[in-house]
Amino acid sequence: MRKWLIMMLTVVMFGGLLAGCGGSGGSSSGGDNGDNGKSGGKVQLTFWGDWGGEGQKQFETMVDAFNKSQDRIEVKYMLQQDMVTKFLTAATSGGAPDILFWDRWRTSLYAPKNVLRPIDEYITRDGLNPDDFYEESLKELTHDGKLYGLPLTVDARALFYNKKMFADAGLQPPTTWDELEQAAKTLTKWNGSKLEVAGFSMGDPGLFNMYLQQAGGQMLTEDGKTNFNNEQGKQVLEFWQRLLNEDKVYKIGFEEGLGEGNDAFVTGKVAMLYTGPWMMSTYNKYGKDLDYGIVPPPSGPNGDQGSVMGGFGLVIPQGSKHPEEAWEFIKWWTANKDNALLWAKTSLNMPGFKPALADPFFTEDPLWKPFTETLEFAKTRPTHPGYSVMEENAVIPNLELFMQNKQSLDDTLKKAQEQGDKLLADNASVE
Amino acid sequence: MASVNKLGRHQARMAYLFITPTMLLFAVFMVIPVVMALYLSFTNYDVLSSHDWVGLDNYRRLAGDTLLWQTFLNVMYYAVVFVPLNLMISLLLAMLLNKRKAGVKLFRTFYYLPTLTSAVAAATVWIWMLHPEYGLINGLLGYFGMTGPAWVSQTETAMLSIIVMTLWQSVGSNMIIYLAGLQGVPDYLYESARLDGASRFACFRYITWPQLRPTTFLVSVMAIIGALQLFDQAFVLTQGGPANVTKTPVYLIYQQGFNQLQMGYASAQAFVLAIAILVFSIISMRLTKAEEPIV
Repeated sequence: MRKWLIMMLTVVMFGGLLAGCGGSGGSSSGGDNGDNGKSGGKVQLTFWGDWGGEGQKQFETMVDAFNKSQDRIEVKYMLQQDMVTKFLTAATSGGAPDILFWDRWRTSLYAPKNVLRPIDEYITRDGLNPDDFYEESLKELTHDGKLYGLPLTVDARALFYNKKMFADAGLQPPTTWDELEQAAKTLTKWNGSKLEVAGFSMGDPGLFNMYLQQAGGQMLTEDGKTNFNNEQGKQVLEFWQRLLNEDKVYKIGFEEGLGEGNDAFVTGKVAMLYTGPWMMSTYNKYGKDLDYGIVPPPSGPNGDQGSVMGGFGLVIPQGSKHPEEAWEFIKWWTANKDNALLWAKTSLNMPGFKPALADPFFTEDPLWKPFTETLEFAKTRPTHPGYSVMEENAVIPNLELFMQNKQSLDDTLKKAQEQGDKLLADNASVE
Repeated sequence: MASVNKLGRHQARMAYLFITPTMLLFAVFMVIPVVMALYLSFTNYDVLSSHDWVGLDNYRRLAGDTLLWQTFLNVMYYAVVFVPLNLMISLLLAMLLNKRKAGVKLFRTFYYLPTLTSAVAAATVWIWMLHPEYGLINGLLGYFGMTGPAWVSQTETAMLSIIVMTLWQSVGSNMIIYLAGLQGVPDYLYESARLDGASRFACFRYITWPQLRPTTFLVSVMAIIGALQLFDQAFVLTQGGPANVTKTPVYLIYQQGFNQLQMGYASAQAFVLAIAILVFSIISMRLTKAEEPIV
């Protein structure tokens, strides 16, 4: 009797163990692909994304609209935490989704691995006009001459300024580095050693790329080496040094961890900052008394303009069993004016489709107009697979030392170059 | 005689039967992955396509990986400060609360509470407290006419901020372990010591501390492993900045494997970390070697 009980227990434990192994990959295919992805005569597609909360509702709005617009395809949105990691395992072991929400800069890392499906044939077949999209955003989705997806959103940073402070000080929004510096100086308020109002936010050294473009420079050379240890890089750092040490318009750590409700711009503790359209909903929500304006980034010493374009796209994994239908969905969402506009109004993102951006919704709104102007000259990050580690592990750390006066200007550029070149070489994709 | 052997065999069989599930779990989820990772560290595995033997290339590359060694120094510094402080504070608290007085239970609960908060939630609160202008801590310093630093944004104080926060989070659970240890020290030892006229300090030095050696060993090894694998608190509080002073090996390994798709190289990095943890644990074992129990 007792023996029998032990055997039973062992069996049950084994069963649990096996179930534990099976459960990891099973959920991704959703089970509805079991009957070749057709149920009720419709093709079932899975769409993976990592936007939850509000973002999930916005995605589902679009998915529902698509499902209602025709009766052949049914898309289902699946929220995936840690989506990229899950996609890694799904791409190799089956269970990949049909459509993937895609942070565009990852293309240069994943495209060479042959896990994404090129869409050039569809573009030609359906006669889509590439000029309807920003060239830069398509470039970011291209690898080795093949296009891997279409841009769903575009964004760039522009200069937000506190209108009330500007009016009180009789200032005009800045259009050049010099005007920016003057305005920042005028609006900064110190109380002894306590900073009460920072004229201009300098909390993000990651914006170096943008400043470098304004100085007429580029982060990388054509052959994939760093390109900032030069006159342009020097101009940026001299400008930062002036703002921080001479004009004292900011204090390092000033905006650290304030959270949305206490955001320094909302509470009037920062007069100007560079940020993107993604912050507007926060400002509108918390900044009841905040009256702000936006202008394109001021131009550098030689009149160069610069901003960094970012954003997301939609791609089709190689593992999708229904690439044709997945393409239908992507085309419907990203390359159709009405739908792109519905998406924009639903989510307050700027769509990647230019004809939608030409709508009065964007052109007549003073808060959107500066962004569309900025996108005309904004450049995406270089499509080098090691770029993001280079920026994060070599450039930003050295800039932080510089901004805390712990490293000289020349050393900063030199070290960022040496460490940066090494990281670029180490992380150049192995094909 | 034969029957005894038979019984022994039967018992052995049963014992194996009982440990089989555990051993299987251990093999499937520990041994096999470790062996796999060791194998992968000699390949250029990228999770997706390539999977070729590259010999010692990954380990050669480690030698020139200055950033990895810097992150090792970061966590060593962290461990050297964090582990002793952790032991001292949790032992002190345990001795303080090892009394039968009214309200002791309440205090035990209070000291244990921070352990229950998630790293992310705790970091969010701490960032706010450490804010240079409106933070509680610099506010207090302001009363004494001092201007506090920008704790998490300055290279000198960023790691200290993480140490303070993780101490606040971890002393509670170690205090509980020490409390259990203290209650396991037999009373007659103290009684005989007091009869011999031993001072309080002598009692601690010759009875409490030696008796707690196994507990100290457990707590310190766990703290060392935790320290060298520091990741989430550092990530939320400072994102590895400023100037890489709070980047940790685990963060780099994750980045190399999952962002850069160089899982082979990331496995090699992970093995170096594993060896470092092993070495530190052995040192700790030597330091807190349990003597013969004084019973």
